[in-house]
Amino acid sequence: MIAPLTSRRWAVALVATAGLALLPAPRSACAKESACPTPEGFGAFETPLTKTAKALAKGSDVVIVTLGGSSTVGTAAGGGDLSWPSRLGVVLARRFPSARVKVVNLATPRQTARDAAGRLAREVVPLRPTLVIWETGTMEAVRGTDVDDFRETVQAGIDELRGAGIEVALMSSQFSRDTDPVIHFGPYLSVLRELADAGEVPVFNRYGLMRAWAEGGVLDLRTKDSDKRKQLATRLYDCLGHAVADFVARR
Amino acid sequence: MTESGRDLRLDFFRGLALFCIFLDHLPGNFLAQFTLQSVMFGDAAEVFILISGYTAGMVYGRSMERQGFLVATVRVGHRVWQLYVAHVFLFMIFMATVAYTVGTLNSSLYAEEFLAADFLNEPGVAVIKALSLQFQPAYMDILPLYIVLLAAFPFVLVGFRSWPRVVLGLSLVLWAIVQLDPRVALPAYPGPNRVWFFNPLGWQALFFIGAWLGWRGIRDTWPWLDRRWLVAVAAGVAAASLVIRFSWTLHNLYNPIPALGNTKFTWLFMSKGDLGLLRFLNVLVLAVLVRHLLSPRAPFLAGRVAWPFVTCGRHSLHIFCLGILLAVLGHLVLSEFFGGLLMQLVVSVLGVAIMIAVAAFMDWFAARTGPGERVLAPAPPLGGGA
Repeated sequence: MIAPLTSRRWAVALVATAGLALLPAPRSACAKESACPTPEGFGAFETPLTKTAKALAKGSDVVIVTLGGSSTVGTAAGGGDLSWPSRLGVVLARRFPSARVKVVNLATPRQTARDAAGRLAREVVPLRPTLVIWETGTMEAVRGTDVDDFRETVQAGIDELRGAGIEVALMSSQFSRDTDPVIHFGPYLSVLRELADAGEVPVFNRYGLMRAWAEGGVLDLRTKDSDKRKQLATRLYDCLGHAVADFVARR
Repeated sequence: MTESGRDLRLDFFRGLALFCIFLDHLPGNFLAQFTLQSVMFGDAAEVFILISGYTAGMVYGRSMERQGFLVATVRVGHRVWQLYVAHVFLFMIFMATVAYTVGTLNSSLYAEEFLAADFLNEPGVAVIKALSLQFQPAYMDILPLYIVLLAAFPFVLVGFRSWPRVVLGLSLVLWAIVQLDPRVALPAYPGPNRVWFFNPLGWQALFFIGAWLGWRGIRDTWPWLDRRWLVAVAAGVAAASLVIRFSWTLHNLYNPIPALGNTKFTWLFMSKGDLGLLRFLNVLVLAVLVRHLLSPRAPFLAGRVAWPFVTCGRHSLHIFCLGILLAVLGHLVLSEFFGGLLMQLVVSVLGVAIMIAVAAFMDWFAARTGPGERVLAPAPPLGGGA
């Protein structure tokens, strides 16, 4: 179903995306080219982000704060502009030209759920965001943090944000091949799912999406070449930016 | 149950738990949606610990009555040693997997995050902490629990003889304290906030209740366990848990089906690490039901359908370790070829078939080495359990 792009189309897409990022007037036909196809029905059943989607459509101010670790900082691509939150901002601005979209990326490397939760009151709420996208669970899985502890921390964070009238979306860990016997992501992914179902917040299933891309041959997550890996990260974050934009704007 | 024969129900459900553990441990396995964990609060771990406690109470309780405290303690110690060796074996498998995946762990796409796994930075410390049961990576969490519970068991058994109610009461109080205060836990590596995945201070209640039932079972039957109202309540609770839990499974498969009773409140009683109330209660009511519905002499247990379960349950420690090894290998196969549904099915069926074959082989070997030797070692594979 998902055909792998050839490397030339790939390069063209990359250049096109880079170019588009600089241009104020977008050419949306090319923009589509750069995004990875998302599986049919991805995120269709997640709770919609009504307030944010409405604000985008109406053309009001929309502030989105992102929390998370290295993969949200964008370290592997080598620059903040290439991170998925930046790409998200660019795509949304293009898609909703009348809305004033601002994405504030508060991710820091190795940020735990506890670290992030500790920053909400002082650093996140004062920005008066419409939406907070909280990427979490990776450090917990790597370190094997107590699952109940993780659940309570994220739950408290969600409650705090919603109490301040802010919409919340969760985002799961990155998918990787090979590491499952060493690092158990399963329980932490389940916690996000359960929190979402119990609290009616959506989860952006990055783990599942990356898995689908890897399985479909869209992304070669195993490449050994370090230059290629940087390109891979750049492409991955761009694809994620597009997919998150679709996810946020669902109605 | 008779004095001489094995209670096949124990072997059967232990075998069932073993298959579930294997299927649950294959990453992303579709079939894991339909194991014990999808029809009850809790999963194979609860079944395993309860049965292990029951068996321990039966076997070592009898030994204590006939041979005295010292002999029974030495037998327990021998079993603990076997479990410890199995734990070290699983650690070797874990290290081999790390060696295999170290490339991915170092990949720049993940490095920043994955390299925070402390054991990569100080493998020497990790080895020592694994030997001291404090390092419990993937798959290595349940044996340490079983080891400490069994090691403490001779003393509990002495308590059972003199003040059974006091001992059981204290055990339940300790469990309740663990539920109320998350700080009551054993420290694990890597620190500072890490604790044992299965908190022995919580799980001991299930193990010792099982042990008490097994110990008493040598002498008594419990007519009160068959009271009609108790069985009815147990059936009601078990059915409600089944409906609720299975609705979550269906919800995962097809989102518009509602996940019944999935609220913040429910999750307060669902802790796996501390053995939350719902998990504890659920496995106990299932035990009451099984006791009522399935006689140890039921022809079903000696029949063909039950045979694979019973034979695996009989060699539980070996088959448990084999299951973990197979789960790791199965994972490598699935991640290499990207397991679709068919692939997952093939790996699952093949794994279970290998487990059955090895258990059957062990049966065959035990029969070959003759009953003469078995007279010298009564009560084959003692204690059982993970």
